[in-house]
Amino acid sequence: MSDREFHPLVKQLLDGDLTIADLPAELRAEGEEALSLLAAVDRTPVSVPAVTWRVMAALASRRRRMRTGLLTAALAIAAALAIWLLPARPVAAPSVVTVRFVLVAPDAHEVSLAGTFNQWDAHATQLVRTGTTGVWTATLTLPVGQHQYAFVVDGQRWVSDPGAPAVDDGFGRRNSVLTL
Amino acid sequence: MRPGAEPKDGEIVRSVLAGERERYALLVERYRDRYARYAARMLGSADAAEDAVQDAFVRAFDQLAQCKEPDNFVGWFFLILRNRCFAERRRSRSVAPLEAADSVAAADRTDGGAESAERRRALQLALLELTPDQREVFVLKHMDGLSYEQIATQLSTSVASLKMRMHRAYDRLREQLRDHK
Amino acid sequence: MILTILTMPLTLLSLQQGIAQRLAGRVSPDVAALVEQLGTEGSARGLPVEPLIQKAIEGSAKRIPDDRVATAIRLVATQLDTAATALREGGLDSDTLAIAAGAFAITAGLSGNDITALARVGATPQALTVGLRVAGTLAALGVPQADNIALVSATLRSGKPAADLLVLPAQVQSEMANGKTPAAAAAGLSRAAAAQARRGPPPGRGHGNPPPHPPTPPHP
Repeated sequence: MSDREFHPLVKQLLDGDLTIADLPAELRAEGEEALSLLAAVDRTPVSVPAVTWRVMAALASRRRRMRTGLLTAALAIAAALAIWLLPARPVAAPSVVTVRFVLVAPDAHEVSLAGTFNQWDAHATQLVRTGTTGVWTATLTLPVGQHQYAFVVDGQRWVSDPGAPAVDDGFGRRNSVLTL
Repeated sequence: MRPGAEPKDGEIVRSVLAGERERYALLVERYRDRYARYAARMLGSADAAEDAVQDAFVRAFDQLAQCKEPDNFVGWFFLILRNRCFAERRRSRSVAPLEAADSVAAADRTDGGAESAERRRALQLALLELTPDQREVFVLKHMDGLSYEQIATQLSTSVASLKMRMHRAYDRLREQLRDHK
Repeated sequence: MILTILTMPLTLLSLQQGIAQRLAGRVSPDVAALVEQLGTEGSARGLPVEPLIQKAIEGSAKRIPDDRVATAIRLVATQLDTAATALREGGLDSDTLAIAAGAFAITAGLSGNDITALARVGATPQALTVGLRVAGTLAALGVPQADNIALVSATLRSGKPAADLLVLPAQVQSEMANGKTPAAAAAGLSRAAAAQARRGPPPGRGHGNPPPHPPTPPHP
């Protein structure tokens, strides 16, 4: 038997079926090692008070039509380059501008856009995956003015737009800036 | 607290299904911390745990009509949370595992302070190296203190297969902790 | 000194109600209370409320703990104050859009003095607002402060429409893609704008004239 594996009696000790006194002398040291492993289990209570109001708020804003599927919480990392295109504006002073947002994220399962124009709602504006190369796009018509935004990958990773200017968001991350 | 003053889980579920949505908050309050702890051990991060618990409660609400035994809401909810945790791939190692922030000083700890915090962190990292099944049985038995029989009922499996998973977990943990000393 | 036309602000109660409605269900009660307090106080001094509301919603959406959201909101409030003071020194009073733009420029790394310098060019409040947004965006791209203010000032002075200010960041980015540093890109564009300015003055506030439009009242 490999010395990397615990002796079966020590496993029974770990299971709580034996006490250390039940072990033969030559296994006592291994038994102590096993018990010290168990002693390192973190039983610290975890407190998440914000979950209550967040759950109730999420339920309150829910529409009848349910979002299909759970957020697939795969933690792919959004890759590289994002291209932000600003199409030519009409001659008259516009009040809205159409903007296309693009993010290259081949490993993502879901990409959305959150910003000042949609109340930072990570579920409001989904990007659509085009083709098989991992390019995600969305086209929005936004009012003239200043906007800040970020992409949300797989429902939890906030990614600023690599192709756009960025400012400190006050929370240790960066927001992308769109000035129309 | 007066005995009988707290409504039972089944009562709350039935009233929510009858239209009193606000009462769902009672269930969330009741179980969020306990399950955050399970999720934290399974996912290795407090933030991920908070997200998982929140998502699970929302999903449970959406499917509440399918809860066959309202009196066992917590067992049914646990499976939803469990699915949510299993679906999440393990975060990269660069995410710091849980610190025992306001640590409860356990009476059976013999070392103090920094050393035992280091060992807790080492074990949490080693736990993340296990398969989710192995990690789960270890967490349920040795953190939540459930018996094999209780775990078997909850997960609809046999005690024998749980022990097999657990014993493999013990060996892998030993290996991980030795390799990283 | 430029006279400002004070418009009657909303009553205190309806402002608070407006803030509460925007935040209901989106932020924790504690954060909402802080925004109501700071927003109401700021509004009485002519500061915009919207940036505070946006930061609160953003923090909650990003799952930031309340205490850090509160810190960020207070920082925004301070930046709004600094921007308002700087604008006043440059001759523009109580324009909430300009103040918000100035606060954004500060977030991006510019100083109160930079804002005052741009205000002193004498462009219309609308043009100045765009100029401040663009200056902030250029700072975010890495254009050094001096080159930044020089470029935006020159463009404002040239009297060209807002659209010409708005393309500056894209032009700088394009030059950067061709290998220029942000400073060099901005300097090149400055020279072009300065040449334009020599060809004619901007239609602007001038000296001692009333502003062409009343300042926008603060609203939630």
